[in-house]
Amino acid sequence: MARERYFQQLDLLKESVLSLGEMSELIFHDSMEAVIDLNVDLARKTLALESKVDKLEENIEISIFDLLALQQPMASDLRLVVSALKISADLRRIVGLSINIAKIPDKIEGGHIKPLIDTKKMSDIAAYMLENSLKAFLTQDAVLARAAAARDEEVDRLFYAVWVELIEMMAKDTSIISKATYLLFLIRYIERIADHCCNICESVVYLATAERIRLN
Amino acid sequence: MIEVVKKVAQPHIIVENLNLWYGEKQALKNISLQIPRNSVTALIGPSGCGKSTFIRCLNRMNDLVKNCRIEGKVLIENEDIYGADVDVVELRKKVGMVFQKPNPFPMSIYDNVAYGPRIHGVNKKDIDGVVESALRSAALFEETSDRLKSPALSLSGGQQQRLCIARTLAVKPEIILFDEPTSALDPISTARIEDLIMNLKKDYTIVIVTHNMQQAARISDYTGYFLMGELIEFGHTRQIFHSPKEKSTEDYITGRFG
Repeated sequence: MARERYFQQLDLLKESVLSLGEMSELIFHDSMEAVIDLNVDLARKTLALESKVDKLEENIEISIFDLLALQQPMASDLRLVVSALKISADLRRIVGLSINIAKIPDKIEGGHIKPLIDTKKMSDIAAYMLENSLKAFLTQDAVLARAAAARDEEVDRLFYAVWVELIEMMAKDTSIISKATYLLFLIRYIERIADHCCNICESVVYLATAERIRLN
Repeated sequence: MIEVVKKVAQPHIIVENLNLWYGEKQALKNISLQIPRNSVTALIGPSGCGKSTFIRCLNRMNDLVKNCRIEGKVLIENEDIYGADVDVVELRKKVGMVFQKPNPFPMSIYDNVAYGPRIHGVNKKDIDGVVESALRSAALFEETSDRLKSPALSLSGGQQQRLCIARTLAVKPEIILFDEPTSALDPISTARIEDLIMNLKKDYTIVIVTHNMQQAARISDYTGYFLMGELIEFGHTRQIFHSPKEKSTEDYITGRFG
């Protein structure tokens, strides 16, 4: 087959995006565990991973610019390169939001104001969406991507339910405002992570079918 | 989704079930397509796929090839150009052609352009105007206006190719066929010819054969992909290079074979 080096570069790009995806999953998972258990050590370890993600994302960008400038990809190759650029940006935002989550344990002293049951449910669904959006990217499976994105509605519902609950709690007891505000930030970050998963799913549908759709 | 082209709104050329044999070897197999008016249609495909043979059918250049047999129809303005009463000289006036290698006549720049109008009986007093107009349309007048009597062969390769385009334009064709017009040119000359082709489509219908996929993507409105004498896929250039329907097209334009 001609253009061996080019195809190797495309394969490498895909692998790099999946590596970034795995790191995003790990950082999101550990930051949630740290915030639920208020585990400051785990939070600090998680924060230390951000620079590795930056390096990986930078390498992905460079390889995309090289592919565009030097190889002029066409058709499904072009869709892969464009999707990889968009997906890596979404993954970087997911990491950014997870890092924000990992900063919360350090701010909360003496335990949470309530058990984080619905918040955990939200993060489990968001983690499911992230895992399946990446699987869909790997296999170019538009059906799986659409199914993963469809779960965003559950995240949104839980977000509003917890939001209302926290506002009501703060109205009743102003001494918890500081801690409750961090929880409001937390659910907002998770809700945004789920939105970025939807964006990834949109990119996968585009990659697989050349169709531009909105799943958010 | 981008629609696949089946019929075009204003076809200038309609090809129906075109088959061509060189002796025993079939070079074109049942080609049917419609080429839209005032547009650039690019034909791509690996060497020997039949794309040059195909455009040579559009002005009956294959008539000159020994043992060449053609079946099917090529309609231009709804007239079958293979009809018994067709004047081939008139046809080639209507359907001009520019070749891979610039091939100016060994005469002056002026005479190269004037040659066609003269043999088609244009009045002597009108020739200057025709030459100037053709050179302007081919974006060559500014560079040559002070040396029109110089030998055409003193021009650079890119200028010679634009001269050949001017020579084609001088006989006022409706359709211009380009057979790999920039494959012998440097990138700057190539860019000038590409700009020229895009400007010319206002007044002409253009069909271009090219091996340069980026060129087809840059300048054409429609693209046809040929393989082993068959037209595999024809559609809007955007669709062909973005999401081709046929795997074979995809494999070719992404370099997976060919």
